[in-house]
Amino acid sequence: MSQNGGGEPLVEIHGVTKRYGAIVALDDVSAALTERAVGLLGANGAGKSTLMRAILGLIKADAGSIRVLGIDASKPTWEIRRLLGYMPEHNSLPLGMTARDLVVHMGELRGLPRRVAVLRASEVLFQVGLEEERSRLIRTFSVGMKQRTNLAQAIVHSPGLVILDEPTNGLDPAGREEMLTLVRRLSAELGIAVVMSSHVLEDVARTCDSVIVLREGRVAATRTIDHAAAATQGDVQVRITGDPARFTQAATGLGLTVQGDGDGDGAWLLVRGKDAAGVLTGVRDAAVVAGVGLHELRPAGPTLEESLIGAIG
Amino acid sequence: MSADARVLDVAYSRYDGPRSGRLGAIWSLARWSALRALGARRGWKAKLIPITLTLLAFAPALVILGLRALFGTSSFTRDLVKALPYASYSTVTAIIILVFSVVITPELVCPDRRDRTLSLYFSTAISRGDYVIGKILAALMPLLLVTLAPPLILYAGNLLFAVHPIGYLDSHLADLPRIIGSGIMIAAFYALVGLAISSLTGRRAFAVGGYLAFLIIPTIIGGVLAHALNERYLRLLAFAAAPIQAARGLYPGYTDRGHISAAVWAATSVELMVVAVIVLAIRYGRDEG
Repeated sequence: MSQNGGGEPLVEIHGVTKRYGAIVALDDVSAALTERAVGLLGANGAGKSTLMRAILGLIKADAGSIRVLGIDASKPTWEIRRLLGYMPEHNSLPLGMTARDLVVHMGELRGLPRRVAVLRASEVLFQVGLEEERSRLIRTFSVGMKQRTNLAQAIVHSPGLVILDEPTNGLDPAGREEMLTLVRRLSAELGIAVVMSSHVLEDVARTCDSVIVLREGRVAATRTIDHAAAATQGDVQVRITGDPARFTQAATGLGLTVQGDGDGDGAWLLVRGKDAAGVLTGVRDAAVVAGVGLHELRPAGPTLEESLIGAIG
Repeated sequence: MSADARVLDVAYSRYDGPRSGRLGAIWSLARWSALRALGARRGWKAKLIPITLTLLAFAPALVILGLRALFGTSSFTRDLVKALPYASYSTVTAIIILVFSVVITPELVCPDRRDRTLSLYFSTAISRGDYVIGKILAALMPLLLVTLAPPLILYAGNLLFAVHPIGYLDSHLADLPRIIGSGIMIAAFYALVGLAISSLTGRRAFAVGGYLAFLIIPTIIGGVLAHALNERYLRLLAFAAAPIQAARGLYPGYTDRGHISAAVWAATSVELMVVAVIVLAIRYGRDEG
């Protein structure tokens, strides 16, 4: 995994175990979160929220240690928490407050002087697209607006690291799209490191640089998500309806290399070329020349989903 | 566009300035909570009851001082001052203090539990203990407005209208710490007991009902049983009266029709406050995972 700006891991987790009675929520979890955006992926009950709450110092681990931004999370947790932002999974906003009042209040609780909190509340509400709604009571907000308010309160105090627990939960497709864009902006443009949990791989793949897969309280896998490679790598796999031989012939004529692993409809063909744009254009043109249909097209090699599916369970 | 118009950059910026610590966070929580309980930054309905009750608590002091301003120094105003000694102020406004605490204290903690805001608060610089301290401060500040401020205003007014203010101050100097002590004692009792009962539920209506039941039902039962069994100490079940009676004991000439000493009332008040603190510690001390 590549390092964040300072080279120090944002969060170091060593052998953390947390039990609730007979249930083991975290079982000897160790990980170093070094990327600017890290996704915690796992099914419901995998231990994502418990791990996040342990990072925040909201719960005490039965064993192991956690260092956050270089500070021992088990010691003066208030010192860590005012440097962190947290967006809880469940709707936990005070419904009788306006968005502006809440964000100012949370800024003050995280150590900002009042005047600064007021100014920054305007900034972050603008950033999450709620500048027009800032004086409305939160109880009148849609789910998407509540989630954006939740995000605004988490970043108002300029945290070094923000922890987002299932930020797309309950959102409609449009709201989810907006939220994922905002989350990506946090690390890519606003300089805030992100730890985000989700049980949806696509959400993590679109917003994070690396992923830690949790399964039954254990780390099942860790992977780097290379956005740049995915965008530039040219090789693709295609599944066509029609004659593979004619498609291969047409594609070869356009300067592409085709390797097939089957005959007839539904065969997967590996198409290689010089660059991504050339391969995609070539596949389209070859399909037209050969008179075949394109049933499926995807990057060559195992997808992130394929490489993690076993770990996710 | 006017010549004064400016284009403002509202881009997100880093903040590397000073940050307050725990004490700043506790004070912020207390201030926000107290102001909201009094109706600040809320609709007029939320302001109406606290403001009305506060004015009613000040009313005896304002009436006496107003009449003194109108009639000057006369036998009438002298009798007026004697009619409401500092020792009796909290007795006169007892029902107002009770209703005020019933209105204020549930508002401080019930919405946080109902809206599940606690996890949000605990993710900031405040711990569970800090939260409880902040809420106690938040309850004390408005309650002092009805337990301490009115007799202090009365004291200041009497001092101002006295023929010889220095002489009045000299002869009534001992009343000042008594006023402050009794105001703090009564406010602390209603703050702790009100918060403890309110912490048991997220529903404001249940908290109000439970709080009233806790203060009124034992009073009735205790009064009836004390009369029937001729056992004066059963009157101690009048929990609402306990801090008022204890506060009256700070002044000379304390009498109680049930012949219970002020020290016993004070002990009862302290016991209830200790129980309230234990309830708060249990309710907010748990690791909720």
